[in-house]
Amino acid sequence: MGDILTIQSLSKGFSRQVKNSAGEDVDEQYWIIHQLFLNVPRGKVIALIGGNGAGKTTLFNLISGFIMRDSGSISFKPEWKNIELSGMSPHLITRAGIGRMFQDNHIFSEMSVLDNMLVADSAYLAERPFRSLLFRNKTRKEENCRLAKAREIFDELFGVDNPFWEKREQPAGNLSYGQQRLLGLSRLFMRNYKLLLLDEPTAGVNPEVIEQIKQLILNFIKNNQTVLLIEHNLEVVKDIADFCCYMENGRIALMGTPEDVINNEEVRKSYLRF
Amino acid sequence: MEYVIHLIILINIYIILTTSTNLLVGVTNLLSLGQAALYGIGAYLSVLALMVFHWPLIPTLLFSMIITGLLSLLLAWPSLRLKGDYFVLATLGFQLIVFNILYNWVSVTRGPYGIPGIPNPKLFGDVEISGLWAFLALSLVLAVIVIFLFHNLIHSPFGRALRGVRDDELSMQALGKNVTAFKIQAFVISSAFIAISGFLYATYVSYIDPTSFNLDESIFILSALIVGGLGNIRGSIIGALVVILLPEALRFIGLPDSVAANMRQIIYGLALIVLMRFRPQGIAGNYTIK
Repeated sequence: MGDILTIQSLSKGFSRQVKNSAGEDVDEQYWIIHQLFLNVPRGKVIALIGGNGAGKTTLFNLISGFIMRDSGSISFKPEWKNIELSGMSPHLITRAGIGRMFQDNHIFSEMSVLDNMLVADSAYLAERPFRSLLFRNKTRKEENCRLAKAREIFDELFGVDNPFWEKREQPAGNLSYGQQRLLGLSRLFMRNYKLLLLDEPTAGVNPEVIEQIKQLILNFIKNNQTVLLIEHNLEVVKDIADFCCYMENGRIALMGTPEDVINNEEVRKSYLRF
Repeated sequence: MEYVIHLIILINIYIILTTSTNLLVGVTNLLSLGQAALYGIGAYLSVLALMVFHWPLIPTLLFSMIITGLLSLLLAWPSLRLKGDYFVLATLGFQLIVFNILYNWVSVTRGPYGIPGIPNPKLFGDVEISGLWAFLALSLVLAVIVIFLFHNLIHSPFGRALRGVRDDELSMQALGKNVTAFKIQAFVISSAFIAISGFLYATYVSYIDPTSFNLDESIFILSALIVGGLGNIRGSIIGALVVILLPEALRFIGLPDSVAANMRQIIYGLALIVLMRFRPQGIAGNYTIK
């Protein structure tokens, strides 16, 4: 099967001013990610754990192109061809097959639930302005197909009589926080991503929604997708992750099975504090 | 009656202006202060096509729209990579540059003297659009076409993508959408259709000078849109109606002649402030400017 993502010697830092022993301002390089190596195996759930400031979200931002690396390489192999992601725009990285769910609910709150789903589809052709005007019937037919696809995804994920579907015409901003998280995840089913970067999907939601989110993540794996997951809820990590990486000071300090990493003495001392 | 027809023609011109600007400001959240410059470019290009090339109506309109759209692309390409307030400043710069060119390039635009005697457009052959009723029909047809096209655009997948850009650019990028390309397309389409207003204004008034297309006019177009409401066509129509009819209505409240003009401006300004305080999304809008 091989690795879907290979990160080699990745670094990202910035210079900051500090005072030296003589009290003078001097520039110092501060590394958020420093010489990071990571191989992500295909078709697995890999959890990233670590304290605040360890560099987990920065790593996601580097992979998805929202910030530029200083050095190193990020190589993505969705199928047979290697794609070097460094320097690519975020939208092109997404089109290459990497989906992203942010830590905050980046849903379109003024759009309906349905529009949130439809905008997540890869409708490049339909989104051309003159096509909408010149080929209205064709555009409408395609729109109906996308609508059916969204409905199918909802039915499959949440059951036929899901409360979400009843709220499909409502602005997504009216949904509860947990429902917005579910919507954010559901949107990722509208496109055939090969790798999904999920940043704390279960943060701030109730146990019932956590169960639903776990099921959704397992659904991704059923579809032969790979999930890289930042998660502080260690029960979730134990339940769904195949591998766990502990991040510290911008590096992968430890990688192994979730049990091995969570039970590691160093991890317990510096991250779990017991 | 002539006065009423005159007002309806002006309303139609402003409906085209506000509807086109709405795609940019209300649907895509790109606040532009250069709309009057594009309106002026459309007007001057129409005059060029009518008076120099002697083209009939449809080629003149197309020429004016295409060239205005292309010129807007020159502004859009570098400016739309700027964020928020910097984009507004870039459009302000564009507005000032265009006004100064129109004002000072006397050998081409006749500068402050303006261009008088703009001929009536010919529909085809020798059939001319002349007289109030003909201009009323022409402006109505063009306004209806613009409303129809923009209604379809806003409710198409393209319009949905623009609303996505407005609400959350980061999320749109993460969903694989080229945000800059969407902004450029919205800007160029909006500019090309603003040129129609320029054509209508130039041919209806039969005289243009740069003062009709200055920064005040840009602000007037924006306030019309904001008063009517952002994000939908209804708001654009209501905005055009309010900004044309309210000052006219204030003529009839019997203010003394010596203060009438200033008082009308003050009352108009107060009405804007009250509206923004109690209904910031405008009369019929579904979106508040960010």
